[in-house]
Amino acid sequence: MAAPTAAPPATRAVAGAHRRSRPLGHERRRAAYLMLAPGMLHLAWWIGVPTVATFVLAFTRYDILAGTMAWAGLDNFVAIFRDPVWWTAVWNTVVYTFFTVPVAMAIAVVIAVLLNTNLRARAWYRTAVFMPHITATVAIALVWMWMFEPNIGLFNWVLSWFGVRGPAWTSDPAWAMTSVILMSVWKGIGLKMVIYLAALQGIPHDLYEAAEIDGAGPVRRFFAVTLPLLGPATFFVLVVSLIESFQVFEQFYVLTPEGGPAGSTTVMTYEIYKSAFQRFDMSVASAQSVVLFVFLLVLTIVGRRFTGRDDVA
Amino acid sequence: MSPEGTSAPVAPPVPSGPGPGRLGGAPRPGRILLHAVLVALSLAMVAPFVWMVLTSLKSHAEVMSYPPTVLPSVWQWVNYPDALGFAPFGTYFRNSMVIAVSHTAINVALAAMAGYALARLPFRGRTPALVFVLAAMMIPTFTKIVPQYLLAKTMPFFGGNDFLGRGGSGWLDSWWALIVPGAVTPLAIFLFRQFYLSLPRELEEAARLDGLGEFGIFARVMTPLMKPAIATVALITFENSWNNFVWPLIVTRTDQLRVIQVGLAAFQQTERTLWEYLMAGTVLATVPMIVLFLFTQRYFVQGFATAGIK
Amino acid sequence: MTIRHRSVLRAVAAAAAGLVALAACGGPAPSGGGGDGTVSGEISLLTPIFEGADGAAVLEEQLAAFQAQHPGVTVKPDYTTYGKLNEKLTTSIASGQPYDVMLMGAGWIPPFAEKGVLADLGLEPAELGARYYERAVDAGVHEGKVYALPIMMDTRIGIYRKDLFAQAGITEPPKNFAELREYGKRLTQRAPDGTLQVAGLDVLGIDPRQAFLTMLWAAGGELFGPDGSPAFNSPAGVKALQTMADVIQVDRSEDVGWTTPNSPTGNVMAQGRAAMAVGHHHFWTQIQEEAPELIAEDKLGFFVITDERPAMFQGGTLATVSAQSKHPEAARALAEFLASEGPVLAANEQRGNIPSLKSLESSEFVQQNGAIQFAMQNFEHAHSEGGVPQWLEIRDKFKPAIESALLGQKSPQQALDDLAAEASAALAGR
Repeated sequence: MAAPTAAPPATRAVAGAHRRSRPLGHERRRAAYLMLAPGMLHLAWWIGVPTVATFVLAFTRYDILAGTMAWAGLDNFVAIFRDPVWWTAVWNTVVYTFFTVPVAMAIAVVIAVLLNTNLRARAWYRTAVFMPHITATVAIALVWMWMFEPNIGLFNWVLSWFGVRGPAWTSDPAWAMTSVILMSVWKGIGLKMVIYLAALQGIPHDLYEAAEIDGAGPVRRFFAVTLPLLGPATFFVLVVSLIESFQVFEQFYVLTPEGGPAGSTTVMTYEIYKSAFQRFDMSVASAQSVVLFVFLLVLTIVGRRFTGRDDVA
Repeated sequence: MSPEGTSAPVAPPVPSGPGPGRLGGAPRPGRILLHAVLVALSLAMVAPFVWMVLTSLKSHAEVMSYPPTVLPSVWQWVNYPDALGFAPFGTYFRNSMVIAVSHTAINVALAAMAGYALARLPFRGRTPALVFVLAAMMIPTFTKIVPQYLLAKTMPFFGGNDFLGRGGSGWLDSWWALIVPGAVTPLAIFLFRQFYLSLPRELEEAARLDGLGEFGIFARVMTPLMKPAIATVALITFENSWNNFVWPLIVTRTDQLRVIQVGLAAFQQTERTLWEYLMAGTVLATVPMIVLFLFTQRYFVQGFATAGIK
Repeated sequence: MTIRHRSVLRAVAAAAAGLVALAACGGPAPSGGGGDGTVSGEISLLTPIFEGADGAAVLEEQLAAFQAQHPGVTVKPDYTTYGKLNEKLTTSIASGQPYDVMLMGAGWIPPFAEKGVLADLGLEPAELGARYYERAVDAGVHEGKVYALPIMMDTRIGIYRKDLFAQAGITEPPKNFAELREYGKRLTQRAPDGTLQVAGLDVLGIDPRQAFLTMLWAAGGELFGPDGSPAFNSPAGVKALQTMADVIQVDRSEDVGWTTPNSPTGNVMAQGRAAMAVGHHHFWTQIQEEAPELIAEDKLGFFVITDERPAMFQGGTLATVSAQSKHPEAARALAEFLASEGPVLAANEQRGNIPSLKSLESSEFVQQNGAIQFAMQNFEHAHSEGGVPQWLEIRDKFKPAIESALLGQKSPQQALDDLAAEASAALAGR
């Protein structure tokens, strides 16, 4: 477990010369396959096969109760694209993602930087920020329902100080989405902060020292040193947050049950859940999942363009 | 700063050099302001949880009263033993612990290897492999759950199945189904890959010159520098596994194999929810996570990753 | 190149389809027994009721009695909640290993019977009507055959506060929608600044679909016509929804957001924040827990929602037997046992619901619960939702449609017509 000694710049050239020699490349390839195999085989079996099954079922009419299956071509896709509720769900998901992901990411990275300093009691601050993430949504949603309660809830009580009569929040189609977004940002910050915190540990001190010598203030250093070096972590947080956000279910299900007031907060995953387990229509659920999949794939590619540049080691 | 790559994790506060985010030796008023902001933030984050704890100590009638009370008029400590008596929580707790710990151990080990290979070893098919890992996160649970159930049920040679997986119940209603399918997550592989990416190449090349093999570089040089990432993956895996509900409920038929979240769900019935018990149970179920976090956050300490090259 | 791609795709598709097919063929029964008609074997039971340790103890006690009657049979109960019942049902059915006996809601029966999941119990509805409430029996009948036996019923009825009625000088509950609205207006109390203090008529405290259906039937309407096509957008349906919308939009007897079904902020009637409600018989239990003095002082009254006719919405939990059960005799015996006096009383006592058996009207449990007693006395007015195999597809479209009318986004006529169009599409198999 000895830490390697020094890697003076001179050795880099030597190593570079060696790198392309055949035995080394061969050994590295072999090592790569061996190290990948257990994890990838597991994923291929437990997630790959169900994913393929999803894509296949999307083109069939599978009656899970009767146990019959027939090819359906594009029928399922035609059906969901003709369904206005599905389009509402798609739009709501996009709106939700647009407001939760960037906001929560920005707050999280700032908090992570603040809590990475040598502060008294920082373990407690960190725990406090992480708390919302680890508490079961169902129970914590009750508290938020109290806060959103239109007559005496916290939000409307505070608004009443300013003479504002607050909305009915989760019962008002105009505000139900806002309610869920508020709670989701609150709940989502903790995990993102932890990932940023972990990533910050990998940034060498000397870069900060150099920047400080150059006269950069804390804000400049954040933008010039910290943020660029957090690239890989940011890509990770972005992709994972997008996926999480597009697959959000619980917050909506608990805070605005069954699609919310007049269906105003239905989201893609709720529609998928409804198709699969309320209507027992696995084929339509699969087709909807394929659409969700395509959305996420495109967004990930776009996200990589923005935070990319991390690819080759 | 001295190299500390192999030492045990250091508890905060760590005496370190001019820390990166230390706001450049900010003057005292700045510090006080910072603390004020952080205290306000922490209160906002924790307040709902505090309300939850208070609710867990009220009688049902008080929880449901209007307007609500802040502090319980009578502190119903009995809610805790009552809630625990509502379902076999001892068994549930043990089961959840076994599942979460095994998921965490397996995931850290297998995902670290896979993530390392994806980040640092050139091989044909690396990009498709990464795309596959990302894609594996993109189909929602509800759609995967039926095929996964069928895979567990048709596991050959188990639970009375023949070699084609017919005839019996496979892994259903067994520890296998509870532990194996969720043991490796694409998220962990992806996270490790992103973190291994940011390690300096000099480390690996120096070690190679020292004659270390590829596994040696992975296990003895690179991974010891990944403690923050390992802590993060452990935390996320444990938390996901601890709070998982639908899969453990579906693949088991006996109470002996049920988990803590199934117990908490029993407080929510069609006609009513036993809020005070749900709150008490949730508070108790959250405690292991808080302890785990307090423990792992110690690894988020400047110095591990850079120790080697300083 | 393309050919190869296509064949790969086909192979993958076949593999995935094979997985489903493979899983679905359950294979031969592992154990014998029961071939000669004797009741024996190990049977599995899926139950969304009997929750928690208390519920489990109640069920195990009953099952012990059953196993004493049938020494050859062992029952393995699997406890779930209504929230996750469908996941359990779907996966077990898809894998070809459904539970032998399944307890499920009334709305599940027609689709499950239609798809061949449930076994015909071979019973005569008329005969069952002697022991069970006829309306409860109907919930388990599909196309004239009995697929399920009722255990536990629930109803939506009118509930009012006698003390607030007296304050407003109202002597008896409303007999039609006009009175319902009129009383609601008179009972409503607002502060000078317009803030609602007491809702005169609460229509938001139960599921919007169930509230609407109660009103629909009371207005003389039907969910589906004799030919199975949507009938809820009839003039009666529009009148029902119009009445609900007017309560909020015109009379302002309640504000949107005043309460929600199963509200985590408590029952508005228990809190004195509603004087009258289109409610659930279970409000009784809630009020008993939250404000027992209201019951002790006899401040709670009940009425059947009435316009053209009195009508209650009924839901229920019924016992069914899988068509694929390997021990059909034993499974049927268990289903019949669960719908017999002992288990029915125990189940309803545990949950505070309405026993399906007429004989239990005199039980101590029923005698102590005013709401249940009232519901049982008026059970002939109960109606079940559903009736068409596609009901589960149509059911979840109701809530947004009803709410769009209550919120004033659509006229009741428009909301119901749009809903009927969607329902027709579902009935036509999309």
